[in-house]
Amino acid sequence: MKRFALAGNPNCGKTTLFNSLTGSTAHVGNWPGVTVDKKTGTYKKCAEPIEIVDLPGIYSLSPYTPEEVIARNYILDESPDCVINIVDATNLERNLYLTTQIAEIDVPMVIALNMMDEVEKAGDKIDEALLSSRLGVPVVKISALKETGLKELMEEAYAASLKGRQGKTVLEESALAHLVGDVKIALKGQGVKDPLFHAVKLVENDSIETEMHKETVPMIDEFKATFEDDVFGGDFEALVADARYKYISKHFAPALSKKKTEKFSMSRSDKADKVMTHKIWGIPIFLLILFAIFHLTFSEDFLYLGKIFSLPSLEELGLLTAEGEPLNYGVRWLACLYDGAIFSPGVIINNIWNNMLVGELFGWLGGLVEGSSMAPWAVGLINNGIFDGVASVLSFLPPILVLFLFFSILEDSGYMARIAFILDRMFRRFGLSGRAFMPMIMGFGCSVPAMINTRTLADEKERAATVRVIPFFSCGAKLPILTAVAGAIVAYFGVGNADVITFLMYLLGIVTAIVAVLLMRNTTLKGETPPFIMELPAYHAPQFKNLMAHLWDKTKHFVKKAFTIILASTIVIWLLTHFSFAWKFLEDEAINESILAGISQLVQPIFTPLGFGSQLGQYGWVFVVAAVAGLIAKENVIATFATLASCLVAMANQNVGGLDIAAEEGIDAVQAMVLATGITVPALISFIAFNMTTIPCFAAVGTAKAELQDKKRFNGTLIFWLASSYVVSAAVYTIGMWWWTLFLWLAAAAAVTSFIILRNKRAKAKAV
Amino acid sequence: MPIVIAPINVDLKIVRIATDEKTKKHLESLGVSLNGEVTVLSSSGGTVVVKIKDGRLALDSSISTKIFVA
Repeated sequence: MKRFALAGNPNCGKTTLFNSLTGSTAHVGNWPGVTVDKKTGTYKKCAEPIEIVDLPGIYSLSPYTPEEVIARNYILDESPDCVINIVDATNLERNLYLTTQIAEIDVPMVIALNMMDEVEKAGDKIDEALLSSRLGVPVVKISALKETGLKELMEEAYAASLKGRQGKTVLEESALAHLVGDVKIALKGQGVKDPLFHAVKLVENDSIETEMHKETVPMIDEFKATFEDDVFGGDFEALVADARYKYISKHFAPALSKKKTEKFSMSRSDKADKVMTHKIWGIPIFLLILFAIFHLTFSEDFLYLGKIFSLPSLEELGLLTAEGEPLNYGVRWLACLYDGAIFSPGVIINNIWNNMLVGELFGWLGGLVEGSSMAPWAVGLINNGIFDGVASVLSFLPPILVLFLFFSILEDSGYMARIAFILDRMFRRFGLSGRAFMPMIMGFGCSVPAMINTRTLADEKERAATVRVIPFFSCGAKLPILTAVAGAIVAYFGVGNADVITFLMYLLGIVTAIVAVLLMRNTTLKGETPPFIMELPAYHAPQFKNLMAHLWDKTKHFVKKAFTIILASTIVIWLLTHFSFAWKFLEDEAINESILAGISQLVQPIFTPLGFGSQLGQYGWVFVVAAVAGLIAKENVIATFATLASCLVAMANQNVGGLDIAAEEGIDAVQAMVLATGITVPALISFIAFNMTTIPCFAAVGTAKAELQDKKRFNGTLIFWLASSYVVSAAVYTIGMWWWTLFLWLAAAAAVTSFIILRNKRAKAKAV
Repeated sequence: MPIVIAPINVDLKIVRIATDEKTKKHLESLGVSLNGEVTVLSSSGGTVVVKIKDGRLALDSSISTKIFVA
């Protein structure tokens, strides 16, 4: 099968073209050794089926980011049968810079002149015949969005692939022609493939090339020594770049005839940017958009209509039974959309999915299993181990999908680049660039996609620091822990307000993240924040088809990762809680005899400084069990609470009054545990803090491992999570119990800070 | 003068790029090359948005102080 590669600048419509060409055959994999998506698909409407490879978006073949290395190596080493170079016609000169470089490689190529519809809309014209004759390769006008010209493009590419092509450089006309020609002949003598391309790159002093052709470098330096130039003073790389642009504007630019307009007329995009990236208003506008996204995804009172019009709840409408259950099937559907307030779209989708579809399905399946004549342990394993695991993964899908959808809209419309831009100055103070913001905010939804999203960061160390703090932005699965424990604190001790506690815990996570980033960027992950250079693509309306393709890509990724890990972990947890060391099957209520309980009792003393260790006495291990179960997946924490509480009640014969231990929110279960263990409020808060800042879940651990590559850095990350959660929780507990310890913590923090500053100063002095 | 203090909406020419090699290469592939034409669209607190060829680039102060225009 023939292989065609798509190459082009970021934001030139490459992905849209790829989706249009390959349709449902698209397949996402990874490039060997790196975590950059490799998209391949098949185009079937040619004489023979053609494999299409979507290369990462690149600005040049002199690599700056890992993506550019991949694209360059693919074209050079894998010799595709044809390179389809997509050129954004609205930014012709800049895009042709890459074109002139690809043209130097001995590979067939075709130029797809994309976004022609926009050029024509602006009243401009491009003479593709002129362009084609000057470049020496076929040029086809297309619109990837409207899917016009695609067939012609592929026909041309197919024809080109049959012919083969010799590399050609635009430097032939410049003063450098001689130099390049000499180097090319030398390389050709050595039997190097694509001699012209390597010759030009060697003249440019490209670091990869000088590394690759070490023995040739001295000779080239000799050649260069004879070359004289006043303007550039021996800076060959600038010289080459200048020669390229000169050639482009002299020979190619005439192909573009612009409608006469005012010199500095602002495009609509520029006008929008006057507001969106405004010095003062930029950030408030952004916060408003962010708030709207979270409101649409998570709010149970859409536009606050319920509050404003004080709408009646289902109970007040008499639609619930005495037990608080919906009266009939219709009301159950209604309950997905409304209860005293209209839910936001995200919540409605979530309710329908979880309550009606997934809930029904697994309820039915569970009933089938229970009704069968299987052994009790098998029923337990299938129902509580496997089905609950699958259901919990599925229950995550709606919020993640909705959040992804909104982020894809931001991305496709071009606003995401502006967000990075307006936040950059603020983030720089913490040693991160503005691009780190998006992954962090996605962490509030789920750490897994957030960590995947760190791929946009160019610097490895910055990326590692970002991956590490993402879990501190409390994800959706941690919210139930917060509401349950905070609810129990309010209900049992009668202190505070559950919403305020929840909010403060979120804040604690963010503060921890900031402190951790500052600490890491000044110690183990030291490094300059890379300079901020970002293209601001013109705003345009996101395309439905593209959004769906994006969404499908990301969902597939999440489901694959999460499914295997969460499913496996729920089964493991179930085994650990339902079998004793003697490998005897235990009922739910006998969890105290389980393997997990045994382990937890053993490690309990470690948690004493955090407030939920030895001081809780006989039953104190329950919190440890919940926390350990939480290392695997945070939804385990509340589920474990319910089991543990019922077990405690059975064991201790406690009178729990009117508490409904099995209630889903877990508030009552926590209260029962408070009753049994006598745990204090600071210890409960410390327990939340621990869960928020420790190892997030197996799914996130797996993702972090894949994203970080470096094994040492990954191990460091695990230690970092454990250490930070231990320190944060210990601080919360001790300060909560004995307020004066605050001064000890502050003193310790000051000591650490001054130590680091002094050490860095000394290191700097040494370096100078 | 460095581009950070350059006037807005005036045609300028790049005369010197004083960054490290890697950044310079990246800038060049984005159109910021010696002798190239550039127009500043907005400038605030060290960050500038420039129009180069037909694209818009945002540059922070660590870069905008190192690109010299005339």
